[in-house]
Amino acid sequence: MLNHRTRIILAVLVIIALTFTILDLRGGKGPFASVRSVVSSALGGVQVAASVIVSPIMGVGSWWGTWGDQRTRIAELESQNASLQDTLIRSAEDRARADALDQLLRVAGVGRYRIVPAEVIAVEPAQDFTWTVTIDAGRDDGLLADMTVINGQGLIGRILSTTKTTATVVLIVDASSAVGARVAGTEEIGILSGTGRQDSLEFQTLDPLAALKSGQALLTFGSRSGRPYAPGIPIGEVVDVSGTAGQLTRIATIRPFADVSTLTVVGVVIRPPREDPRDSVLPTPPEKADSANVDAPAPTGVEDGASPAPTASAKPKKETAAKPVPAPTPSAGVATDAGGN
Amino acid sequence: MWIRQTVVCASIIVLAVMLQLTLLSRLGLPGATPDLVVVCVVALALAYGPVTGAVVGFAAGLVLGFTPPAGGVIGIQALIFLVIGFLTGAVIDPRDRTVPILAGMVGLSTGAAALAYVLTLAAFGGNRVIWEEVPALVLTSSLYGLILAPIVVPTVAWLVRRLTPEVAV
Repeated sequence: MLNHRTRIILAVLVIIALTFTILDLRGGKGPFASVRSVVSSALGGVQVAASVIVSPIMGVGSWWGTWGDQRTRIAELESQNASLQDTLIRSAEDRARADALDQLLRVAGVGRYRIVPAEVIAVEPAQDFTWTVTIDAGRDDGLLADMTVINGQGLIGRILSTTKTTATVVLIVDASSAVGARVAGTEEIGILSGTGRQDSLEFQTLDPLAALKSGQALLTFGSRSGRPYAPGIPIGEVVDVSGTAGQLTRIATIRPFADVSTLTVVGVVIRPPREDPRDSVLPTPPEKADSANVDAPAPTGVEDGASPAPTASAKPKKETAAKPVPAPTPSAGVATDAGGN
Repeated sequence: MWIRQTVVCASIIVLAVMLQLTLLSRLGLPGATPDLVVVCVVALALAYGPVTGAVVGFAAGLVLGFTPPAGGVIGIQALIFLVIGFLTGAVIDPRDRTVPILAGMVGLSTGAAALAYVLTLAAFGGNRVIWEEVPALVLTSSLYGLILAPIVVPTVAWLVRRLTPEVAV
């Protein structure tokens, strides 16, 4: 069958192949290392080009694995997608609540208010013209009527009534609400009344000669034993002043810091601080201090204006500045209570 | 004469090696990689006869052994492809070349190549063989050979007839 030449060719090739095999199997770098490197450099470039060309059809093999059960895979992925979207929405909500709680804790921490955090669970319909909300904390959490309710931006309102597990809060923008307020950096006090509109309050100073200008911030003046309003809580800022100085009624329009239409996490002040935190709770006290320096006519006002800027270091100064406060407190408390009731 | 034949064989083998290493082995198909080189060796052996088939198989085995990533043992594939090239060129009568016989031939060859490689490796003391996977590898290799044969063998035969009409079997 085989002629002589064919036999020789086959024998030579088989012997060469076996020799190569044995040489290569001996291990180490062997005699083929240089040949391999030459072939590698010669064919490597071709391989790179080839793999660029064929790369779009890579991954075809993975189709095989999913070919049969693609329908179930799609359903599986859809349900997974839905649950992930749900998680995403909920985590965004959680983050917003955590932010609100963070801000609330900042206010409570700076002002040293002891608070019970709560969540708004119901809001009175807007067409009722009553700004009240229900929160999920009640008598069991230590809440009593006429406690102050705040959030991370500032004052929200006071508790109107409580049940065992819930409480009704009347917001400062409600038309029946009246808060004793003080202009930040000064000793000007007055009564802040709700108008029923969510973005404006009316502030009437007790001193008709008081200098008011837009941008000044208002803080709660504080009532007797902190009820209904604890002292030093930011309320809002002056946006408009109507009437001239000396006029019998001089009314400023106040925009509250807290957006009462989007309340989530609130805090109920169950114990006011031992001393009035003055202006330290305001988000930007230095600017208010500057305006106070310009406006303040008396030397006490200067000292008062200097105290809020260094909130932590100026403790003795703060006490001296706080000295005159207790004297007018009862009267203001009475005024507030009278307004509230 | 033989120069043109060599160029044809070398081109086909190099193309097959490239396709096998850059495309087929990366497709991630289940089981073995489709052994396009063996299919081409068989096709060339059918076209040129057993001696040329043996030489082509030997050369293809060496090229495959030397081409990166080249993880195997050089010489084993040359030996196996040599035997396959010679046998396929010898046993097939040029007159009964029907597609089922050719495809069966190629399928047998690729399966045998896979099995022979494993056995040779084991015989030479290689300890990398995972015996549980061997049956699946041999079967899938045969299957892919069966699938590739109706495409590759007629194409190679046509090329050979076009480029080297005087030596085609």
